[in-house]
Amino acid sequence: MTFPLEVSELQFRYQGSETNILRGVNLKVKKGEILALVGLSGCGKTTLCYCLCGIIPHVIQGDYKGKVLINGTSASEMKLPGIATKLGIVFQDPDTQLFAPVVEDEIAFGPENLCIERDEIGKRISEVLKQVGMERYRLGSPAILSGGQKQLIALASVLSLHTEIFIFDEAMSQIDSEGKRSIKEMICQLKNLGKTIVMVEHDFENLDIADRIMVMRNGILEPYNGVLK
Amino acid sequence: MEENNNIPYIKMQEAAFRYPKGDFVIENTSLTLFQNEFTAVTGPNGSGKTTLGKLIVGIVKPDCGSVKILNRDTREMTLGEIGKKVGYLFQNPERQLFSMNIREEISFPMEIRGIPKEKIKEKVDEMLETFSLTHLEGIPAFKLSRGEKQRLAIASILVNNPGFFVMDEPTTGLDAERKKDLSELISNLQDKGIGMVVISHDLPFIKQHADRTITLSGGKIIDDSR
Repeated sequence: MTFPLEVSELQFRYQGSETNILRGVNLKVKKGEILALVGLSGCGKTTLCYCLCGIIPHVIQGDYKGKVLINGTSASEMKLPGIATKLGIVFQDPDTQLFAPVVEDEIAFGPENLCIERDEIGKRISEVLKQVGMERYRLGSPAILSGGQKQLIALASVLSLHTEIFIFDEAMSQIDSEGKRSIKEMICQLKNLGKTIVMVEHDFENLDIADRIMVMRNGILEPYNGVLK
Repeated sequence: MEENNNIPYIKMQEAAFRYPKGDFVIENTSLTLFQNEFTAVTGPNGSGKTTLGKLIVGIVKPDCGSVKILNRDTREMTLGEIGKKVGYLFQNPERQLFSMNIREEISFPMEIRGIPKEKIKEKVDEMLETFSLTHLEGIPAFKLSRGEKQRLAIASILVNNPGFFVMDEPTTGLDAERKKDLSELISNLQDKGIGMVVISHDLPFIKQHADRTITLSGGKIIDDSR
């Protein structure tokens, strides 16, 4: 059986560091599953996300061992543009993701690079801005939005890619309670469409939509048993 | 709203602010903040919370009206002068860290004030210990986790001994354990008499600490309760 995401014996050590942050991570995520990852700050959750989306080893280098498979193909052997057609990631800090001077350009950038037709891109922009409740900011600048609003635009940009796999790395951390409710509903709709979702979370109130919760401890993943340490 | 009889630390009078080419983010707002209180500022995304915080610490100046810190208009104060009176923790701590080295990050404000080296070393050691950073001393600041960067940013602010501290979304990205540590730290600062404004939509965290809660919506204060 091929899983959308499969990780086996993954180890990683950042350049200049003496210890491995990932020490043999094993994981299989099914199609249509919402998997939540929890763990203490600095335990390696974001590093794992970077490995899942190919940023490690393609952009960030270090000592990398083991395998990450996206739909059965090794992420380290795929090119980043190829990975982007299969997997979208929303980073922890929206400022690292947003770069365009206008919100609609920001959202159009991904689909444009996937050579999607203009009319379809226009439709997707309207659709995703509605999904995140930011329609009125379409022609505004992301630079003057609040932290939470930037996070919503980063989310919209990734949703516009229409990928099969989504990774949300604390994607709701700056969003107000009303926004969180609607994002959680949206994630459930994605699940119902058969999308595969990995969400890193510190806020346990957001975990009610997860099918499975794993905790990152000492560089490995284990089923969550109510304890983070 | 019940009155506070202490001397105001920060006073905002009919202050309004908008970013270039944007709508008003803060509209004619008057607000008095006291050192003996923990004031929480909450409200939906885009309601103006962060901009209010930046007005309070003089990072942005009001288009009209005034913001005064201990009776001095922020327009007449340098950021260095403000930093000695009010500390500000950015929503994203990365924005305020600039040194490669943890020790340098903490010592910088003291070095530019010409404090003797021995005193600086003593104070940095104390801050590293207080903020559980001693074991990370050899690691470049940019390699720290978000929680660690936040502790470093707070340590660098507090070496200035400000009487007031504004924190923007301090619980973002913190796990339950780190949130507990932050709560303890805030309680200690309150015990030391440091006034505090915490901008957050983490309602359980706010409820745990706040003496006063201000709710913003569309750039206006819609509720102010003690």
